[in-house]
Order: sequence, then structure tokens, then C-alpha cells
Amino acid sequence: MTSVLDASPLNVMDVLRGEREHRPLANTSAAAGLRAALEDGIYELLGPELRSEPINVRASALRHGALVFDPDGAPLAQLRGILINQALRLLSAGVEIDDVCTELVVAWRAEVGRTPLTELVDRLDADELARLSTDLTSHWITLKRSLGPLSSRWLPRTSLRAYQRLAGGNVVLRDVVDLMVGTTTGDVASVALLDITTSPLGEGAERVMRYHALVQTLRTSTVPLRTSMFSTATGELWSTDVDDELLQRSVIDVLRSLEQLRAAA
Amino acid sequence: MTTLTHRRLSSHILNRLIDEAPSEPAMLTDDHRRSLSARFRAVPANDHRRIDAWMVERAGRPWGAFRWSPATARRVVGNAALRRTTLDASLTRFDAVDSEVTDQLLRYASGYARAGSLAWYLATCSPAVLGLVSAEAANWATQLAEAAESLDHPWSIATSDAYYDIARARTTLRGRRDLVVTSSQHRILMRVRAGAPGKSAGPGLRADLTIDALADVNGASAARIIGLWPEAGVVLSVDGTMTDLRSGARDLVRTAVANQRQHLARAA
Repeated sequence: MTSVLDASPLNVMDVLRGEREHRPLANTSAAAGLRAALEDGIYELLGPELRSEPINVRASALRHGALVFDPDGAPLAQLRGILINQALRLLSAGVEIDDVCTELVVAWRAEVGRTPLTELVDRLDADELARLSTDLTSHWITLKRSLGPLSSRWLPRTSLRAYQRLAGGNVVLRDVVDLMVGTTTGDVASVALLDITTSPLGEGAERVMRYHALVQTLRTSTVPLRTSMFSTATGELWSTDVDDELLQRSVIDVLRSLEQLRAAA
Repeated sequence: MTTLTHRRLSSHILNRLIDEAPSEPAMLTDDHRRSLSARFRAVPANDHRRIDAWMVERAGRPWGAFRWSPATARRVVGNAALRRTTLDASLTRFDAVDSEVTDQLLRYASGYARAGSLAWYLATCSPAVLGLVSAEAANWATQLAEAAESLDHPWSIATSDAYYDIARARTTLRGRRDLVVTSSQHRILMRVRAGAPGKSAGPGLRADLTIDALADVNGASAARIIGLWPEAGVVLSVDGTMTDLRSGARDLVRTAVANQRQHLARAA
């Protein structure tokens, strides 16, 4: 089942959780086949030699394409994305925010310490700060209105990192899922993945959704129930159930991205 | 030969690692303790030194001063929260995390927290940062609970890390442990780590195993230590054999030596 909602959904969490009685049995057998397909594809691309440095595949490379993506080129957009992710984390912990920009920046600084991006915030003049604050508030309101209640019974986890080393360490798949609910220990599939973006959704978003599902499957050996992406720019939610076909397509996406990354290196 | 194994993380593998743990783990005697003390005393110490698995993995290289952050607070708060949920099943993980944070704040308010402690840090945090600490701690508690709840054997959250002071060597060893699994009279330790295991993850696990055995009154080693890297979906394990304990002790002494050399090099 694929849900594409043009209007801002009343409740993202309702779409993510779906109907309990319609959940399939947990698939714990697909991971080995996917790993083998990836290993075979990487061997064909890179050969048997061990590289001195691994090729890192990230969701951003799948979204934008290896040759186009340059986060340093748009630091304020990157900052906005990071801070809205912090907002999601605070929502999951049930924290009320009054002064969105100030409180999110404080929380983010507490987490990362001093980085080039925190120094960029220090250098922003009053106009730029006001623009960032307005921008953040608008994205925050869309997120808060659309997300809906996030019960702690659903075991919400935020900013979950994943690493998968393939081909003897020649390739590392890296991923961060903004929000994950459900558990991998049940008999039925219940894990739903959500990526929050401050950009409009495009073709790349589908690849990213598939990538999250693939890396999560490889990490836990259990296929997630659903993978979704929500844009705080447009209020759109894309959500799709995870099946074998989707995972196989993601394997192809990863191999294609790897080819581009290798060519760009 | 070391007994280090490397597997993909799944509940089936975890249970197998527990079932197949050695039935007769090694015991450290007073002679072993005396021998280790002598070796540490032979390494001069400028200040009181603290050595743990992380330092072993970094070959004694110093790192920046410790700083509390949501990421460094998550293990303490997360483990305590999970312990609460095992005592009161009606608590959700976030409720348990909130209770733990509130307890820490009460400790600070009643004057029992020293400067630099977790309670002191939490008391100085804004509500937004406290929210981030809660989110990190809930992540930690959930991934630890997912591993624990898939086990077929009784388990408990470790009440504290293992500490061992080495007599007259101005050295304290700290061994981390998150879960203790009991299986047919033996203890099996589990540690959860962030990220992906590096090349020195095995020596790190051996160091934790050795420090745990040293901290045991009878010198009894755990039958096995299992390291979980949930983010990488990987499990490493080391058995409580005398070979591994010796290797762990050697790594700890080497770390002290390397640390002292680096200290002298910086001073020169």
C-alpha cells in the first residue's frame, strides 16, 4: 500500500502506524539475500582488491546524486534541516518549545559542541538570524501540526544511526533515520521509519525511503513494515510498505550510486 | 590463542552465544593480582591514572577533557531507566527516563550532587537540552531492552560498572558492563556500544572482561563477554579463559606504559 497525501495529513503517526490487524509477519529471511546481492554487485564494480579508504554511501548521495550534492554550498539550508531534526527529537520527548530558534540552537550546541556550523551561527547578523528564526518557526509549525501524538508505547527512537560494512570494508553504507517506531522483536512487522526533510519531496525522496528500509533490514535482519518521508516545506507525506521488490530496487539504487561515487573519486 | 568471535546481530545469535559459553571460566588468584600490581607499580604515574577499555582501544592516547552532553549522559540515564521498567512494568521507557532525570535533579536540589556530576550537569541544562538527554536515553534504553528481551535466559541491568584499585600503583581500572545474563550458574556480561567496532574492539572487550574478574571478590571471570554494536548490527564476544584474561591484563599494562610515554613526550 502506498499513501501519497497532497494535503498536509491530519496525523503523520496514524499513517505510519497503520492498522494493526493488517501487519504482515516479520520477514527475517530477506536480509541475507540482499547482502549477497550487494556483495556480488560491489565485486563486479570494484573487484577483489581492498581499498585503502572505503567508499561511503549516504542517503544524501541517493537524494541528490553524487556529483551534485554539496552541503557546504548551502550551509543555512543544512542548518535548518539539522535544527528541525532537533525539533523532532524534542517532540518525541514531549518537550514544549516557546522560542523555537533559540531553544533548538541551544539543544543542538549541547549535542555537538563547537563545529564550523555552530561558528557560522555565531557569525550571523541580526537580519540573517531573524530570517532563520522565521524559516524555522514555519517548518516547526508544519511539523508539530502534522506529526500527531507520539505515544511512548510505540518505542519512538530518534536520529538512529546505522553502518553497514560491505565487501571486506571497501564500501560502508551509512544512514541516519530521523524517527523509528515499533520493535524488531515481535512476530509481526511493526517498525516504521520516518525521514523529515525541510526540502520539497522529489524523485530522490523515493530512493532515500528505499535506502532507509534497506539499511535497516541489513542492520537488524528484520524487514521494516513501512518507510516514510515528510516534508516540512510542503506538508507532504510519502509512505510506502516495505516489500521484496522495494528492497531489490534499493540494492540497484545503491550500486548505481556507488558507480557514480567511484567515478567522482 | 584469543577466543574473539565476530557475528551479525540477531536474537538467535545472542542466545547461541549465551548457550555455548564455556562452562568453566577462569579464576584469578592472589598471585595473579600481586603480579599485575607489580607490573603497574613499575610504570611511574604522575597523577592518579584511570584506565578503561576505551583507553586500551586508543592505545593510551589522551583525548579531550570529559564533557557531559546528551550523548555522554545517555548510558547512565538509559540503564537506570531500563532498571526502573524492569521493576515496574507499567512504566514506559520515556516515563522511566523522566523519573530518572527527576531523581537526579532532586539529588542536586537536596545538595547531594558534587560539581561535575551528572545531577549537576542536568540541573544546569535548559528544558530543551533536558529533552535531548531524554531522547538519547530513551534510544539507549530501547536498544538495550530489544537485545535483552530477545534472550531466553534471565538477565538484569548491571548495578554499576566494575572498578578495581591497584594497590600502591595509583591506578584505577574501570570495566563497563550493561547487562548481566545468568545461565547455568555462570555470568555472561553484555556491553552495548555506539558506532561500528574498530580493529581494537576485541582488546577493549578483553579489558572489560579482565577488570570485571579483578573486581570480583573471588576473582571469578564471567564465562563470556558479548559486545553489541546495534548501529552496525554486529556482535563480538570473548570467552573468560585464562589466555584472554592474561591478554587483557597485558593490554592494560601496555596502555599505562603508552600513556606515560605520551605524557613524558608532551612534557618534554
